[in-house]
Amino acid sequence: MTSSALEQGEAMAKKGVLPRLAVGAALLLPALVFVIVFLVLPSLILLGYSVLTQSQGGDISLPLTLGSYERLIFSATYRRVVLLTLRVALLTSLLTALLAYPAAMVIAYGKPVFSRITMILVVAPLVVSVIVRTYGWQLMLSNSPTGVLNWMLHALGTGPTPVRVLYTEWATVIASVHVFLPLMVLPLSASLGRINPSLNEAARILGAPAWRAFLRVTLPLSLPGLVAGVTIVFSLTAGSYVTPQMLGGTRGLMLGVLLEQQINTSFDWPMAAAIATVMVVIALAANVGVGWLAERHALAHTQRSGAR
Amino acid sequence: MAARLSGGGGFVTYLLAAAVLIFVLAPLVVVVAVSFSTTPLATFPPVGFTTSWYEGVLASDDFQSAFIVSVTLALSATVASFVLGVPAAYVLNRWNLPGSRAIETLLLSPFILPILITGLALLQFMALMKVRDAALGLFIGHVLVTLPYLVRTVTASLKQVDRSLEEAALTLGAPPWKVFTKVTVPQIVPGIAAGCLFCFMVSFDEFPLSFWLSNAETMPLPIFLQNSMTKIFDPSIAAISSLMILTAAVAVIGLEKLVGLRRAMSV
Repeated sequence: MTSSALEQGEAMAKKGVLPRLAVGAALLLPALVFVIVFLVLPSLILLGYSVLTQSQGGDISLPLTLGSYERLIFSATYRRVVLLTLRVALLTSLLTALLAYPAAMVIAYGKPVFSRITMILVVAPLVVSVIVRTYGWQLMLSNSPTGVLNWMLHALGTGPTPVRVLYTEWATVIASVHVFLPLMVLPLSASLGRINPSLNEAARILGAPAWRAFLRVTLPLSLPGLVAGVTIVFSLTAGSYVTPQMLGGTRGLMLGVLLEQQINTSFDWPMAAAIATVMVVIALAANVGVGWLAERHALAHTQRSGAR
Repeated sequence: MAARLSGGGGFVTYLLAAAVLIFVLAPLVVVVAVSFSTTPLATFPPVGFTTSWYEGVLASDDFQSAFIVSVTLALSATVASFVLGVPAAYVLNRWNLPGSRAIETLLLSPFILPILITGLALLQFMALMKVRDAALGLFIGHVLVTLPYLVRTVTASLKQVDRSLEEAALTLGAPPWKVFTKVTVPQIVPGIAAGCLFCFMVSFDEFPLSFWLSNAETMPLPIFLQNSMTKIFDPSIAAISSLMILTAAVAVIGLEKLVGLRRAMSV
C-alpha cells in the first residue's frame, strides 16, 4: 500500500509538473518574445550594419569591412569624441557621488521630517522630462548677462564679463549631475540605511571625530550603494543624447550626438552603427566591469582582514 | 529608528544637503518663474506677472494634439506593460523555472542599453519590415522602455509579500490560483499601482526614443517641446515646461500616497 501511494504521488507530481511548466511558459513567453523581437533582434541587426559597406546610392550590403571602426579609432576628430564622452561620464559620476552623500545621509539618518522632505525633493525631478530639465539649465547657464548664473555673478559684483559655460562639456556635466543625481542618491541611501548604527557609535565612543568615523566606518560600508550608483550614472551619461545636444555645443560633442548626426546629416548608417556598438560596449563594460572590480576589491579586503 | 545626525557633523550634513536641494530645485524654479514673465524673450530675472503664455499654449492646436498623443501613448504603453510584465514577474519570482535569472536579465536589458540606440534599432527594424506607422512604432518602443520598470516594481513588491500566508492558504487546501487572487494580489496591488504610475510618467517624459519614431502627425509632447525650442524663444516654452513639471509633481504626490516614494523606487 505504501508503495502504491508513493507511485500515485509520483505520478501526480509528474502530471502536475508538466502543466505547471506549460502555464509558466505561457505567462512568461509574451514578454520574452516581445523583448527578443523588438529589442534584441533589431539591436543585433543594427550592430551588424557596422561591418557592412554603404554604396554611393545608400544601399548597405557586403563586403564585410572594419572601415567604420578604423575611422572611429584612427581619426583624431572621432577619437576626441570617444575620449570626451568617457571623460564627461567619469566627471559626472564622481561629482554626482560627491553631491549624493549629504542628501543620502539625511535620508538615511536624518530626523523623519527632513528625511522625507529630502527624499521627495531629490526624487521628484526624476519624473520631470529631461527636455524640461535641460531647458532649465539653458536658462541657468546662458552665456548672455540674462542667464541666471551670470546675473548672480553680476549681482555679486564680479565684473561685467559674463562667464561662458553653455555649449561646453562643463554645461553637459553640470546638467547631467542634475539629471542623474536621484539615481545615485537612491542606492546610496539604501546602502547607508543598512549599516549597523552601533559600528559608528563604537567609533565615536572610542574617540573618533565625526568626519573620521564617516571616512573610516560609514564610507567603506556604503560602497555597495556607491558602486551601484556610479555604474548607473556612468553608463547613462555615456549613452545620453539630449543633454549634450542642447548644452554641449560642438565643443562638447558626445557619442550620442555624433550618432544622430551620422544618421540625419551624413546618412552614414555603417558609421552610426559602429558608434552605436561602441556605446553599447561602454554601457556593458560599465555594468559588468564596475561590479567585477567591486567584487575583487571586497574579496581582497576580506582576505586582508582575514590575514590579520 | 532614532535620528543619528547630531552635533556639529550632523549640522554640516544638513547644511550640505540643503545646498544640494537648492541645486536640484533651482533650474525647475527658474523655468516656472520665467513662465510668468512679461518679457518677450525667456530671460532672467523675470519681469512682471502674466498668465498669457499659458493661455496661448493651452489654446494652441499643436499643443493640444501633442498632449493627446502623449497621454494616449503613455496609457496604452502602461496597459501593455502591465499585461506583459505582471505575469512574467510573477512566474520569474515564484516558480523556480530553469533559466529564470537569464530571462529576468533579458527583460531588464532596456535599462542597460542606451535608449537612443533602442530607438534607432527599432526604427531601422520597422523600415526593414516595411511598417510605416509612426504610432505603432512609438507604442512598441514605449512598451520596451516601460516594461522593465513594471517588472522591477512587481518583483520588489513580490519580495515583500509574506510567504507564510501563501503557504498557509496552500496547506489549508486552497488551489494555487485562489491563493494568488485572494492572498498574493491584495498584498502587491499598491506596488503594482505605483509601478503603473511610474510607467506612465516614464512614457510621458520619454525623449530619445520618440525622437526617432515620431513624425509630424504623431508627435508626443517632449518632441513638440523640443521642436518649439528651435523656433520660439519667448516664455511660452517655459509655460509648456511648467505644465510638465506640474504633471510630475502630481505623479510624485500620487506615488508617495500609494506606497511611499522609497518603496515606489524599489529600494
